Amino acid sequence: MRFIVVRRTKPHPYIKPLIIALSLITGMGLVAILLTLIGAHPFAILVTIAYSFTTPQVVKDMLLLTMLGCALLISFKGAVWNVGAEGQLYTAIIPIVWITLYVAPWSAGSPPHQPILIILASITAAAVFGAMWGAVAGALRAYVGIDEVPVTLIMNYVAYYVVNILVLGPFRGRYVYGYIRTDDLPDAYKLGINVVMQRTGNAFLDGFLEFIRVVVYYAYWVLAAALVALLTWVVFNHTTIGLRIKILGSNPEFLRAVGVDVRKTTVMALALSGLLVGVASAIYYLGDLTRLTYPIQAQTAGYGYLAILVVWLSMLELPLIPLSAYIVSSLRNAGRNMQIFGLGGLESTLVLLGSVLLTYSALRFLTEYEVRVVK
Amino acid sequence: MSYEYVVLKEISKKFAGGVKALDKVTIEIRTGEVLALLGENGAGKSTLVKILYGVYSADEGTIYINEKRVDISSPAEAIRHGIVMVSQHPQLIDTLSVAENLALGLKAFNAFTSIKKVSKFISEKSGKFGVKIDPWEKVWRLTYTQKQLVEMIRAMLLNARVVLLDEALTYLPLEEKRKFYKFIKEFTAKGGSAVIITHKIPEALEAADRIAILRRGRLVGIIEGGSARIDDVRKMMFGESAAEITYGKLQASQPGEEAVIETQDLWITGDFGENAVRGVSLRVREGEVVGIAGIVGNGQRELTQALAGLRKVSRGRILIGGRDVTNRGVRVVREMGVGYIPDSPLAFGISIDNSMTENIAALYQRKSMLVNWSEVREVASSLIEAYKIMIPDAGSLIKVLSGGNIMKVIVSKEINYCRRALIAHNPTRALDEVSAIMVRKSIKERAISDGVAVLLVSEDLDEIYQVSDSIYVMNSGKLYGPFPPDEAERSNVEHLMVI
Amino acid sequence: MGLEQYAVNTLVELAPVFATFYLVALGHSLFEKAGLLDLAIDGVFFMGSSIAVRAAVASGSPVVGTVVTAIAVMFLGIALAFLMTSLPISHGAIGLSMMFLGYGIGIIVGYPARLEVGSIAMYAYSEGESMAIMAISIAIGVAVHIILKYTKLGASIRACGENPHAAASLGVNVLLTRLIAGAAGFAIMGAGSSFFTLAWQKFWDPKSYTLGYGWLAFTVALTSGRHPMILVPISLIFGGLTFYRVKIGVMYGVEKDVANLVPFIAALIAMLVCYATKLKNILAPPTSLGKVYYREERTV
Repeated sequence: MRFIVVRRTKPHPYIKPLIIALSLITGMGLVAILLTLIGAHPFAILVTIAYSFTTPQVVKDMLLLTMLGCALLISFKGAVWNVGAEGQLYTAIIPIVWITLYVAPWSAGSPPHQPILIILASITAAAVFGAMWGAVAGALRAYVGIDEVPVTLIMNYVAYYVVNILVLGPFRGRYVYGYIRTDDLPDAYKLGINVVMQRTGNAFLDGFLEFIRVVVYYAYWVLAAALVALLTWVVFNHTTIGLRIKILGSNPEFLRAVGVDVRKTTVMALALSGLLVGVASAIYYLGDLTRLTYPIQAQTAGYGYLAILVVWLSMLELPLIPLSAYIVSSLRNAGRNMQIFGLGGLESTLVLLGSVLLTYSALRFLTEYEVRVVK
Repeated sequence: MSYEYVVLKEISKKFAGGVKALDKVTIEIRTGEVLALLGENGAGKSTLVKILYGVYSADEGTIYINEKRVDISSPAEAIRHGIVMVSQHPQLIDTLSVAENLALGLKAFNAFTSIKKVSKFISEKSGKFGVKIDPWEKVWRLTYTQKQLVEMIRAMLLNARVVLLDEALTYLPLEEKRKFYKFIKEFTAKGGSAVIITHKIPEALEAADRIAILRRGRLVGIIEGGSARIDDVRKMMFGESAAEITYGKLQASQPGEEAVIETQDLWITGDFGENAVRGVSLRVREGEVVGIAGIVGNGQRELTQALAGLRKVSRGRILIGGRDVTNRGVRVVREMGVGYIPDSPLAFGISIDNSMTENIAALYQRKSMLVNWSEVREVASSLIEAYKIMIPDAGSLIKVLSGGNIMKVIVSKEINYCRRALIAHNPTRALDEVSAIMVRKSIKERAISDGVAVLLVSEDLDEIYQVSDSIYVMNSGKLYGPFPPDEAERSNVEHLMVI
Repeated sequence: MGLEQYAVNTLVELAPVFATFYLVALGHSLFEKAGLLDLAIDGVFFMGSSIAVRAAVASGSPVVGTVVTAIAVMFLGIALAFLMTSLPISHGAIGLSMMFLGYGIGIIVGYPARLEVGSIAMYAYSEGESMAIMAISIAIGVAVHIILKYTKLGASIRACGENPHAAASLGVNVLLTRLIAGAAGFAIMGAGSSFFTLAWQKFWDPKSYTLGYGWLAFTVALTSGRHPMILVPISLIFGGLTFYRVKIGVMYGVEKDVANLVPFIAALIAMLVCYATKLKNILAPPTSLGKVYYREERTV
């Protein structure tokens, strides 16, 4: 008996959701096994994971990861693997810190329209920085021929250290009580709508109200995520550059043979991707992060890497990005909640991230192929 | 005594798009015979031998060797049963030496045997077959004929009992072909079997003891080579469409005076740094079809790629419509209205993971930032109708189509796109005969009625003679000609292909 | 101190650094020579260095640490080679996923050892063993070089990297060949990664997965054209750069993070130099590196 892999003669109707579900289950199962081996109770792990899908903490991550997912989708569709969102995310913050703290710091006497201008300027500057950081990797791949995966990854380390150098030096805050970090973003520039909810005493109702409060706080993020998704849709369905990126992803030789500059298209894919990462980065900084702390590689929430999982899990389908972002943020949330097992921060998420991704990558071929048994 | 060494029983195989490549085919291979598998493109010949060689796996059916049921899961397995395949495209590794290539399959040597020892063995053995090959030579340095020779030697070194020749000799000129046939006759005289896959009736008639004819995945019949009549074979091969098929020369065009495609002393470097094209000068006038004949691997691919702007030229000039486009890239050439049917259609001709409309849009929509989809859909539906392309709808992904229909999409969009010139390299590859003739006719039609200058490069000499107003021969990167087709003797042209 | 003595000291000091980079890059190269793209390198590197610590602490012997790591990582290589060859899946996606999983598993495996002992220095290799480690590393490299270049197995591995379809047609068992390359390659990588914690750092920290040294080894392999002998000087250069950057930094009053930045900038520059010049043709990767191997692919 042996197994053979052959192309499906017709598509399987439920295979995509099946693969996604199977990846999640296998991933979680693997985590449960690994953590059980080091002494955790498997039931507790599964309960923690399940619970993590329902808490308000996922709202923020989901919105941010939707934006980053769209950003990476642009390059992934072109089979240009931008795994440098992590670095683009932090380099894009550099101009924001500069603008909000040094160029136009907020003071009581500042004109009332200043915040809106500064916020727009910050988003634009971040987008430009993100695009440039992406374009560098794009140019190295397109004009020199270096694989963009190691380049974008190595550039992540460069980004970490550059940001560190800035935080240690020119950006080091004055009001930070001996911590090594930048000053806080002035309140006037913060993106967020604060509402105060009265507690009712009913746990279920309070939980629901907390959800409402969080969603209202992140209303700008909802808007931004919707705009980014819309923009991505327009790019892929109605523009020549979107069409070219899609063909770049499936057959760059054909793209060349019809007379399209493959190099420019590659650079564009990475630049556009970096640009949207920059936008997401600005929203993230202005609405949540508000300062940079040294050393950045120990502080990072790993969004740039989680976004890879989001895009892959969406099977590179734009409509599935928000759903995929929700699943990934819940898993990350679960990772955080599992700190009780002595694993801190990003680390526990890594196992989950890795095992879900690994199962998914190993099973994804089933969308186009089937396995047959030969006796 | 001749007996049935291999029996293929009720073999079926389906491919993507639901095409039945093989439908319950039963065939036996006897010792000491030359068996021809005859059929047009898409008939399933190649699929059948690839199943026997363990490259493909059958959906259904069984294989018996010496009356024992076997499971051939890989070429290595097939080799163990004494079955060796030689393909049309040499399956050798270019960057390795001849000895390294041959060593890979030889069971007599273990993993840590030094290549030096293998080389010595090969030198001795090949001498016995009356062939001289340098075992240290890197494969990319060999000519197409030499590579096929290496493949034959390989079969002998592996002690093959059955040699499968998948169009391996089809495009060799007669002289070369004869040498190979002599070799094969000696092999079968000693009890070996040879299976020759071909879509050329005369070749099958000349070489085979028995001819098995396949049509659309089914075995139509097996006839004895000696008693076969060409008309009967034709009917079996093409069925009801036999009448539509003609190899007669198409109407000649009246070329204008001006050269649309012109090259002057063109030199092009190949993939391994060699001079693939050496000093080629040619002219294709308005409305003229110029054919270039030659054995694969003599610089045709490099030449057509350079003309399309895909490959750098190291010396000389390319003029299109009088404008110097040398090393200006594909965009400039394409924007001048040049259609290009490439030699490797799945690489340069189409993107199978995209839809037909997206493929057309990529070529036709080049000016604005936004895609005009209604315009694209119009083009798509007119092509689907004109070329009888079997596709669910224009938005379907190309990969769900059969090979022949993919080729039709590639060819039709280029023939329709060209306004000034068309560079066509093996434009009817993988097409059934009826479609192939339709394509040749529409190429000629564009030349005659729209004055498109056509450069047709083909390994198929019949095709060259059928369409061309003028013929060149390409050999070792050099161009001979032009010859008027009415005066150029076929044997002379063939001779030029190998000298 | 004479110049000679100084050179010897430097070499002893640098030997574990060299062995780490050299073996990781060598194993990675062998894996990729067979056409298998390895983007798991950084995760595998960290995981290996953690397994080594755990095994050394548990057994009390650094040699056991190295051997256990080599075996554990070897199985991983076999698994990856199997998946990438027998299924039509993306080598890149599998590799990157494995990188993340490697980070995670590394932490889970290494953590208990850290809880158990305060310092791993007493479970590590002694300074006197440095030269032996270096010599063995180079010996392994020479062996790999000879096998790759002069034997049938080597030709098979190269054939699988250049054109696995043609290789299969010529009678090579592509899966078996790649399993061998995967096993040997990853075992060597595993041994190399064990020297990171047991001979070079003599210290383990869960945060060291953010160091990215695996990517430096990746760069070493890339800029050496995956050639076992060219790897020697390039590993020395990168090893030296990584090892001495802090010292040099202090000497010139440069911030630690500037010094940390240097090897990564150097990596980018090295890649740039290799690919932008004629070196590109000499150092070219195997033609089929990272390409899906699916036998029943259609042709037109």
